[in-house]
Amino acid sequence: MKKQTIIVRIEISTLINRDGKVNRRKMDRLAMVLTNLHNSGKLVMVVSSGAIVLGSEKLKLQNVPDSQLEMQAVAAVGQAELIRLYQHYFDEYNQIVAQVLLTSDIIHHPQRVKNTRNTFNTLMDMSIIPIINENDPVSTADIEFDDNYPLALLVAKIAQADFIVIKMDLNGKYMIVPRGNIRALIVDGETELQEKLESFCNVMILEERKPEVEFPASIGEIVF
Amino acid sequence: MDYRDVLKNKHRIVVKIGTSSLSYPNGRMNFHCIEKLAYVLSALRRRGVQVILVTSGAIGVGAGRLGLTVKPQELSKKQALAAVGQAELIKIYQKFFEEYNQTVAQVLLTKDVVNTPSRNQNAKRTLIKLLDMDIIPIINENDTIATYEIEFGDNDTLSAMVATLLDADLLVILSDIDGLYSADPRSGVPAEIIHSVSEITPEVEQLASGAGSSFSTGGMVTKISAAKICLKDGIDCIITSGSDPAIIFDILQGKEIGTHFIAGHEKMINHV
Repeated sequence: MKKQTIIVRIEISTLINRDGKVNRRKMDRLAMVLTNLHNSGKLVMVVSSGAIVLGSEKLKLQNVPDSQLEMQAVAAVGQAELIRLYQHYFDEYNQIVAQVLLTSDIIHHPQRVKNTRNTFNTLMDMSIIPIINENDPVSTADIEFDDNYPLALLVAKIAQADFIVIKMDLNGKYMIVPRGNIRALIVDGETELQEKLESFCNVMILEERKPEVEFPASIGEIVF
Repeated sequence: MDYRDVLKNKHRIVVKIGTSSLSYPNGRMNFHCIEKLAYVLSALRRRGVQVILVTSGAIGVGAGRLGLTVKPQELSKKQALAAVGQAELIKIYQKFFEEYNQTVAQVLLTKDVVNTPSRNQNAKRTLIKLLDMDIIPIINENDTIATYEIEFGDNDTLSAMVATLLDADLLVILSDIDGLYSADPRSGVPAEIIHSVSEITPEVEQLASGAGSSFSTGGMVTKISAAKICLKDGIDCIITSGSDPAIIFDILQGKEIGTHFIAGHEKMINHV
């Protein structure tokens, strides 16, 4: 039986305290939950935002950068911080992570898509959790400030994922979006997340293509 | 008389947890279970109960870590996996117990240590010292260096021998079965859990090995033999499922959970 592939979309701002520092307990909990999901036999990939936020913090900038060029530079600094953060917390659970930087224009090149898919598969065969981010420093597209739902969708399509899981806010709420967007579900807390992912996998619901839950406007329509 | 009442006054307990509870089928660790176990045992220790944990799973964890799906047959390979897995296992235990401010220690034993008087007294002193320091020792077989002559072979036996060595008053064996059944639950014949056993007679042993049926968990045979070691030494023993470690709280409240092998009774009592 093919393993379930789950894309987890994380917005770093949901893991950062008001003082700009990373919330250790929440990062730790996240690493634990994702490692456990992976341990239980699912293929897990993380799409994470946060390079610009972390870069700004590291450089002690007063304001968020406004020019494209500045944003790209700050993102370059922040990406190093981001992967270091994930490595540190996943290390506690002996889980190896990898950094994958993509540009969204990849979708126009079938060969590159295929290559990327192969890389993802190889990483997951090696029991590694890829941490994926937009390669802002070299991207020619306008950088949307820390919004990577489109990236999560792109990755889900490339990896032929079964679910996208979106960490919604500071308080442990997640939205589970199954492939085909047949039913989406909001869960509270990591235990419920794991339980629901396991039961979702076993139930094929082929009803009308209406999400059970209305997607918040900021997310838009997630169909993959 | 409710024989379970004696369970309310236990001061030094050995908890043995099996691979099936601790790990997923692929050998990787089940953090839900480990977190719950850490919570339960830390809470008990805080209440003043001395707790010793006997863990399994090192070889499976090592295999999971190295991406192996089939357990190797070759001894040195198994031992190598055990070395990798034991390190990971203890690190993870430390991490989860730390959440509850509970210090743990690693103690690796082999049969020769436990069976040799001078060496076992030394091991006993170390373990008692740890208990006095409010530390929970996590014991495993030293699979990395154990060879046939000195291995226990199964942690059920190891846990019973640890219980006798330390003069414990209870051994709880957590595994993938709710208790000893009166018949094979899969045979279609109505089978019920036997709630108490005070003497391990040939009939009891036959139930465990499932004579006449294909029901041999294999595991149950070693559990019965572990219970036998306990009863000989006057130690109560409970066998039940480890899917929710919080069951230990219920056991210590004297609730009718699993099969209770009652220490210190002459007659055989079978409650169904």
